[in-house]
Amino acid sequence: MSYVRIDNVSKKYNDLAVLKNVSLSIKEGEFITLLGPSGCGKSTLLRAIAGLNDIDTGSIHVGDKDITYLYPKDREVGMVFQSYALFPNMNVYNNIAFGLKMEGMKKEHYTPLVEEMIELIDLQGKGNRFPHELSGGQQQRVALGRALVKRPKILLLDEPLSALDAKIRRTLRNEIRKIQQRLKMTTIFVTHDQEEALTISDRIFVMNHGTIEQVGAPEEIYTSPKTEYVARFIGNYNVFSHSEILEAGMSVIPQGELFAVRPEAIVIALDNHTKDYTEATFMTGMGWVNQVSVLGNVIRFDVDVNGLKLTIDALHDTEIHKIKENSKVAVAIPLTECKPLNHRD
Amino acid sequence: MKDTSLIQRKDGRVWNTSIVTMLIVYLCIPVAGTLAYSLCQEWQGTILPKGFTLKWYAEIFSDTRFLEAMGRSLLVSTITVVISLLIMIPTIFIIVLYYPKLERTLQILVLLPFAFPGVVAAVGLIKVYSSGPLAISGTIWILIGAYFIVVLPYVYQSTRNSLRTINAKDLMDAAEVLGASKVSAFHSVIVPNILPGVLTASLLSFSTILGEFVLANILVGGSYETIQIYLLSMMRVSGHSASAIILIFFVLVFVLSAIILKLGSWNSRTNVSKGKPKEEDR
Repeated sequence: MSYVRIDNVSKKYNDLAVLKNVSLSIKEGEFITLLGPSGCGKSTLLRAIAGLNDIDTGSIHVGDKDITYLYPKDREVGMVFQSYALFPNMNVYNNIAFGLKMEGMKKEHYTPLVEEMIELIDLQGKGNRFPHELSGGQQQRVALGRALVKRPKILLLDEPLSALDAKIRRTLRNEIRKIQQRLKMTTIFVTHDQEEALTISDRIFVMNHGTIEQVGAPEEIYTSPKTEYVARFIGNYNVFSHSEILEAGMSVIPQGELFAVRPEAIVIALDNHTKDYTEATFMTGMGWVNQVSVLGNVIRFDVDVNGLKLTIDALHDTEIHKIKENSKVAVAIPLTECKPLNHRD
Repeated sequence: MKDTSLIQRKDGRVWNTSIVTMLIVYLCIPVAGTLAYSLCQEWQGTILPKGFTLKWYAEIFSDTRFLEAMGRSLLVSTITVVISLLIMIPTIFIIVLYYPKLERTLQILVLLPFAFPGVVAAVGLIKVYSSGPLAISGTIWILIGAYFIVVLPYVYQSTRNSLRTINAKDLMDAAEVLGASKVSAFHSVIVPNILPGVLTASLLSFSTILGEFVLANILVGGSYETIQIYLLSMMRVSGHSASAIILIFFVLVFVLSAIILKLGSWNSRTNVSKGKPKEEDR
């Protein structure tokens, strides 16, 4: 049962196609993320759903209603912007009440709704504050409340966390998810941050050059990328071709043309500690460490295996700490972790 | 080391104060002289003025010609500013937000008044408007039309800057998604937020028009006597009266400027949002 349905939407700006026959469907109450680098068309698609951009071809349905040609005000969507876009001349209360007033609702009817929303976004007692008296995180919560108070059919979030600093970003991210689940709000979230997308979404739509490259649940996207683009965007995947493994002289050569392996899936050990990895389930090889960098909870090794460059992440332990730059190491890649990719970009 | 730098800093401060003081004195001497002249009975053949009197002021305020000229000046300024705001704000808003490609053209148009000296513009305007279907030369309307162009740069600059500062595009988008039509979004969200900037521009325009002489003299002259034209004719009659008029005018513009400054600081206070309070979310 799809609740939001987007069929074959295309959009061109002067000869540049920003959306190419994009189709997607979303279930009611689902939290989906459009993930991609800037210029991939994700924001254009979101704004097209809101009615802020028009589209050249295709249609957009929400519920049973075709909203393709409606004005933004008639679409019953809520939207949160990266710049918050709070009305500076109105206090928190009036910002949240704005949408209800525009509906022509009477003061006695909207007052309880607004107060309930102020409580939901955890800004009790701040109703009289003006936007410039609030911190960025608080402003964005007001924007969220303002979008939700009308109980829209879908909530659109356009990089809402990008302007905030890392710590606030994380708490607000969890809060958005909590509120979304409580209200069972169908939500489309746009971001270029893969970590954000992985933690918050039910499903992720990875976009590239105006098309949807892969759709799936976060763990699926993370563990089984289908294309090199997704593999590179979603993590620090190692991507290599059949011939590259051949040249590197690996012990076993899997079937397929192009593969992706997560850096933390590869086992790394000093030269003389490799007997445990049987050739039936691992492809093994010897190489030299080019660089060692501590990233925090993991150590990252850049290893050269006869010209095959591998990035390998390992957790800290005493054996691992013995591996230094220019150490000779053995690497073992579990064959199950070699994800075949469709094509090379 | 520390001591010398302290002395240097002290020297610097002395320099600063003395330069500023000299500047203030330099700027104030003509005004002070005019004030003295407007308050004395006679100032001829002596170093210091003779006899204190308010009669020049009394004379002017009882002169209906002065009051009428002042009234005309205020009227023409008010009408011009109001018309200019009513036409230009929506125009600038639409161009900046929805037709950004036209902004270049608008900028050139707006800068034209700087390219044409008042006299040149006035002669051209008289040629066009003294005959033909639109013979408005010598009336208030030609003056309003000309002043509309004079104040364009102020109105354009301040409106555009205000729209930029408040991020008008996002505000419009937000208001529209929340159920507002373009028109109601414009007047409930955009107008209140650009108002401080626009007010500053209107007061600036207002005082510019009040002090304008060249266009008024050539375009309408005696047939629509504004305060500046009246001032010129009074200078031929009595220096004391003229000084009094200048002082009155000066006070008026001073009050206007004070209001502008006041509004300006209020504006910047409401726009400090960028350097706002620290995050206090848990």
